[in-house]
Amino acid sequence: MTRGLVRGAIVAGVALAALAAGVYFSQMGSRDPPVAALLGLSLPDVDGREQRLDQWKGKVLVVNFWATWCEPCRKEMPDFVRAQADSGGKGLQFVGIAIDQPDKIRQFSNDLKLNYPSLVGGYGALELSKTFGNELMALPFTLILDRNGKVAYAQMGPLKPGNLDAIVGKLL
Amino acid sequence: MDCAPISTGLSPKPLRTERSLRSRYGALVAALLGTMAMAATAAGAELLPAEQAFRFSARALDDRTLEARFSIADGYYLYRDKFTFVVAPGGAVLGAPELPPGKIKTDEFFGKVETYRGTVVVKLPLSGAAAGQTVVLTADSQGCADVGVCYPPTRQKLSLALPAQGAGPGALVDATPPKKSWFK
Repeated sequence: MTRGLVRGAIVAGVALAALAAGVYFSQMGSRDPPVAALLGLSLPDVDGREQRLDQWKGKVLVVNFWATWCEPCRKEMPDFVRAQADSGGKGLQFVGIAIDQPDKIRQFSNDLKLNYPSLVGGYGALELSKTFGNELMALPFTLILDRNGKVAYAQMGPLKPGNLDAIVGKLL
Repeated sequence: MDCAPISTGLSPKPLRTERSLRSRYGALVAALLGTMAMAATAAGAELLPAEQAFRFSARALDDRTLEARFSIADGYYLYRDKFTFVVAPGGAVLGAPELPPGKIKTDEFFGKVETYRGTVVVKLPLSGAAAGQTVVLTADSQGCADVGVCYPPTRQKLSLALPAQGAGPGALVDATPPKKSWFK
């Protein structure tokens, strides 16, 4: 009986330790300095309202660095609009960070009927993408964060629609 | 170190790490090869730094004319309406740059867009500078690569000694001298 209790206590202890480790490691993602810097960003939207990126914590977050003067960026954005419409309800959230002027961002957002926010980022925001491997600060650059704020995918250059669906599908 | 698998999506041949990522043990392999995947990004994309993709050089034809030159690598292009040239020190002023016509294509958002490939030579009228003086020419340009990425506006700078009167054009000066390589 006593041996059973001891064994039970050991099992419980190990389980507790594993749980603690799991919680600890699941939080590691958001403690990742580049992610923390990204989620701590506050950038104005096209109407001048400051938007913090951590307001979307807990969602599968797709952060897309783009510009209206970047043709390859504009080409892939209809796929983002479609994915946002299809999977927004399941916890998918796209956020654009445009390295551009607000009036141009607004015009393009209206033209495309953008259904997710596009924030106005400057050179500093683009420089942040370097910490995720975008050494040349090229556009488009897309980061996909899982619900724990851990980088699940990063890509320089346009995402293939099939790729996007496959990556996001696994995280939702 | 927390390092996500980074794909460039640019290389025609998938990187070794990318292929691995598609395997059943993708997540594990990604974690193990995290550092390697990051290193592979820079190499795998084979994307040139902007200063090498759009190599800027210039020379002074005389004390009233500068000639800026962009040597654009194959597979890259520059936008004609995105150039800005500035000369220093104060007192020296540039007139309107004489940009040659570019290749026109229709952009659904911007309408007609002119781009350059190969070599572009731009004449810059200069005033307020004296023969023999050294000026600093700063050029902002902006372009993209055919693989589907664009660069942010790139600033390049060089110093030019204006030739003495009647001395003929000065030597061509590179903003980014070609890097020495063991493999060339």
